[in-house]
Amino acid sequence: MQCKDVEFVVEQEGLAPLPEAAQAHVATCSLCQEFVADLAAIVSVAHELPAEIEPPARAWISLRAQLELEGIIKTPAVPAQGERSSWWHGYSDLFRSRALATATVGLLIVAAGVLQLRQPPDAALETPAGVGGSDQQSPFAQTAKVLNEQEIDLRNIQLATTTSPVDDSFRQSLQQVDDFIADCERRLQAAPQDELAREYLSNAYQQKAELLSAMMDREGSIH
Amino acid sequence: MGTGKMNLTASRPLLSLSALRRDVNRGVLPLFGAALFLCSSLTAAGAASQQIEKRFAVHGRPVVVIHNVANGRIEVKSWKNAEVDVLASQTSDKIGFDIEQAGDRIDVTANIVGASAQSRELEANLQLTVPEETELQLKTETGLIYVEQVMGDMTLESVAGDVHLKEVSGYIIVRTTEGSLVCTQCGGKLDFKSISGGAQVLQPALTNVSLFTTSGNILFDGDFVRTGLYTMKSGRGLVEVRFSGNDSFDLKAQTNLGTVDNQAAAFLKPDSHGVKHLASKFTKGLFGTVGQGLAKVELSSYSGTIRILKRD
Repeated sequence: MQCKDVEFVVEQEGLAPLPEAAQAHVATCSLCQEFVADLAAIVSVAHELPAEIEPPARAWISLRAQLELEGIIKTPAVPAQGERSSWWHGYSDLFRSRALATATVGLLIVAAGVLQLRQPPDAALETPAGVGGSDQQSPFAQTAKVLNEQEIDLRNIQLATTTSPVDDSFRQSLQQVDDFIADCERRLQAAPQDELAREYLSNAYQQKAELLSAMMDREGSIH
Repeated sequence: MGTGKMNLTASRPLLSLSALRRDVNRGVLPLFGAALFLCSSLTAAGAASQQIEKRFAVHGRPVVVIHNVANGRIEVKSWKNAEVDVLASQTSDKIGFDIEQAGDRIDVTANIVGASAQSRELEANLQLTVPEETELQLKTETGLIYVEQVMGDMTLESVAGDVHLKEVSGYIIVRTTEGSLVCTQCGGKLDFKSISGGAQVLQPALTNVSLFTTSGNILFDGDFVRTGLYTMKSGRGLVEVRFSGNDSFDLKAQTNLGTVDNQAAAFLKPDSHGVKHLASKFTKGLFGTVGQGLAKVELSSYSGTIRILKRD
């Protein structure tokens, strides 16, 4: 058996156990001994790598809320704990990283905005006041809740760490976006059918999601 | 007389020397000391600053990726050579550069290696010279991004640094948090998004423009390419468009709480394509056509002013 044969065997069958012919060659070949030792070390280190971090639970809450809001999924009025758990794990298997979860929230914001814009102007008027009124007045309520929780977490993290001009820039921008969101929401409370204000609100939430994601990435990369 | 003259003559140097000594004691000596200190500081800084230059041969259209987490400028210019030249300079050893080539992809990353580094120690400037046709992905935090005479798709991201582009073309994506964009003589497609940064698009040859900022100002000063699509939106800032008499576009301008300042009423005719636009009762709007209405221009603001005027 030659060195290239050993490489082929390892490629096809893995490290252990090597066939006898391969073992015999490795025993007499220093190059192949190093090759096998390197591969063993790589496999060993790979086993020690930690599993990927689960995204925060609120990401799944938001995802579920938005899918329900859009009528894509329907759940019983009082769902059983077991059912919630199985649904939950099904989706959490699909999405693992925080960045992906943030992107998903962003996409949902856009989807919610588009759906709202496509609704006929009289749709809101047909809904009796007090029945689902809060949903109509705050189409981004769930998104706002998720993002606000992320913002609080982030502020708590940042309070315990040193700041830089970039952090200051992020914070000022976040404040600006928050102020703008508040403005747009006030406007939409006064005029729920104002499509342009709704579009600006949707964009502002999208920007907030991206900003928080960038801030979290930065926190993660420097601390 | 002679003696008197001699005395007078002799006394002058004595007075001058005395004055000189006083000057030295009171002013010149501290100044001289300060100069010495400055010289020693500069020498120390010079010793700390470092430069790295690397050159990579490429084939076809290379892709250059830069991630600069330090403070500093990224400058990209082009040349005729099929090579990418990277010149990196830093003010301290608290920054490390990773520069690598994988085929036609060149990756440059500036990392902070000293956790306790002060802000002034984290300055890293990158100067690149690339083939004219090059794709760019540049990301920085606070420094200026400057790109000149490069053709290719590019994604440019910055937190607080400005982005200046001159004579570039391709699909240009710019994202900033508070940095502003100045795009001079750009071609292709431009997609800009920012929170508080503004955008100035000057003398463009762009066929597709999308500008969005929450609170920055937008200025578009140039011609609209026929069949081009132009969308410019600012939440709280000013949106200003300066067009030429030869332009041909349909205009739709809307604002929630701002105003539409139409300084080109003489050139704006009612929409000539049979579609009658009306502003909703919640917005103030302006709809019309300049020329044959071949391009499409959409402007909007939440509370900022929208200004439309014709260039001289």
